[in-house]
Amino acid sequence: MSAPTIEIDDVHKRFGHTTALRGVTFDAATGITGLLGPNGAGKTTLLRMMATVLAPDDGRLRLLGWDPRVADERLAIRRRLGYMPQEPGFHRSFTAFEFIDYVAILKEMTDRRARHDEVRRVLGVVDLEGVSDRKIKALSGGMRRRVALAQSMLGDPDLLVLDEPTAGLDPEQRLRFREIVSERTSDRTVVLSTHQTEDVAALCQRIVVMLDGQVLFEGTPQELTDVAEGRVWLAEQRAAGARLSWRTANGAHRNIGEAPPGADLVAPTLEDGYLLLVGDRALSEAAA
Amino acid sequence: MSAMWHADAEMLTSYADGEIADVHASSLEAHLLACERCRDRLAAVPASASASAPASQGSMDRIWAEVVDTIDAPNPGFVERTLIALRIPQHVARLLAATPSLRGSWLIAEAVALGFAVLAANTATGRSADLALFLFLVVAALLPVAGVAVAFGPGIDPAYEVGAAAPMRGDRLVLMRATAVLATSIVISAVAALAMPRLDAIAIAWLLPSLGLTLATLTLGTWLRPLVAAAAVSLSWIMLAAAAAVSTQDRLAVFRPAGQLACLVAIAASAVVLAHRHIAYQEGIAT
Repeated sequence: MSAPTIEIDDVHKRFGHTTALRGVTFDAATGITGLLGPNGAGKTTLLRMMATVLAPDDGRLRLLGWDPRVADERLAIRRRLGYMPQEPGFHRSFTAFEFIDYVAILKEMTDRRARHDEVRRVLGVVDLEGVSDRKIKALSGGMRRRVALAQSMLGDPDLLVLDEPTAGLDPEQRLRFREIVSERTSDRTVVLSTHQTEDVAALCQRIVVMLDGQVLFEGTPQELTDVAEGRVWLAEQRAAGARLSWRTANGAHRNIGEAPPGADLVAPTLEDGYLLLVGDRALSEAAA
Repeated sequence: MSAMWHADAEMLTSYADGEIADVHASSLEAHLLACERCRDRLAAVPASASASAPASQGSMDRIWAEVVDTIDAPNPGFVERTLIALRIPQHVARLLAATPSLRGSWLIAEAVALGFAVLAANTATGRSADLALFLFLVVAALLPVAGVAVAFGPGIDPAYEVGAAAPMRGDRLVLMRATAVLATSIVISAVAALAMPRLDAIAIAWLLPSLGLTLATLTLGTWLRPLVAAAAVSLSWIMLAAAAAVSTQDRLAVFRPAGQLACLVAIAASAVVLAHRHIAYQEGIAT
């Protein structure tokens, strides 16, 4: 891994009686890092800290080499940051163009012409030029997510923090998203959270799996896939020893867990590795 | 559309040479958008000895980009157009247009609240006339406080989270919006005051309290969320006004000269504390 652009060291955070993060430590470098984990694992809390909108109770963060607790350094981070929150709010009476223009002003772009050019550029990146003059309230949920993504791309930031950017996007839009985010990864740091293991497998150089406010796994997609090596097999029925099992489209049951001798082992996927790591918690969430 | 005036040759030459002041350039560009005759004359302006041909071409490109931008960018909404007409810079107008308490619906609600108070004051007689006047003054003084409470902050501003991660100073945005809300409320209250039965000093006795309460809310807002700060300030002041009325047997006691003096002191004290505490809005890190 190249020199870290994000350093997170023993970070803790509590909200009242709830502990959101308990001693999170990991580094990330340029390229794309994916945060995986069930709801309530602490992903959003961590991403909000990386976006400088939330301070840790304890522990240390350095973003792009700066300390977000120091006002001048925080400003320097924000000047190079793009952030898409999990639930981006909009001024619904604004058009898509006006909303992104509004964020561009908050990003200190005061020259109208240059700002408008940049607004058009990011709208083009997310294929929304055709609806730029439509009110936000008239846009579909997927379009709004793309507006939120577009505002995060303003100014071509060096650090992109995206909280569930693919939620609500259709398959074509998700492919387009992958295309957009995978550009300029040689000198840009992207950290995103998602529930879509396919997105992580397709995009991320590094993966951090979180559970109950802690880092459960940190490594490459291949390393996460390897967690399930020799532990995925197909059978006619749900196997007794399987931790997780489901009937596939061709009728066979895909079992994950400790394989019995002579089991028909198959190549694991990244999702198998993830499910084995977070286990019952992920399965109960999927059933909900 | 016919133009009201035409640019003179000197102005067009300066513009083509890129030597015109920005403020005049903007004005001329706005005119050129509507005036074909001046566009043709500008196109015919020869490059001066000091200006190279590419510079002239650059000027034309600039005009064309301005034309495209003006046509392509959506027309701003009513609030934004009004602010721009009041000579507020366009980028500031856009930031203010996102203020919930500067929307038409909010302003109408303010006017309706004051309208009821004015109606009560005009129909009340005897002892109830003082009560109606008291009601009007209290409502007028508290309007900007309510407006400030819903002008910014988490849970109020839908794009707060995105804004908090942006480099623009939070205190600048807060003060900008609070000033706009205060100014708007003062205008609405002043218009309402003209409809009061007594057009004397007491009809504008809400002015200093409204300034003091707004500043107190902004100051307290450096510790608390704006909505909580506004509620605390409003309740405290209503209780103070009621206590003053009971103790002096004068319903309007808090609006009399002694009350106005107290407001001036509160304004000065709040301003001093706010000047020291405004950094809290700048922090932008929620906990």
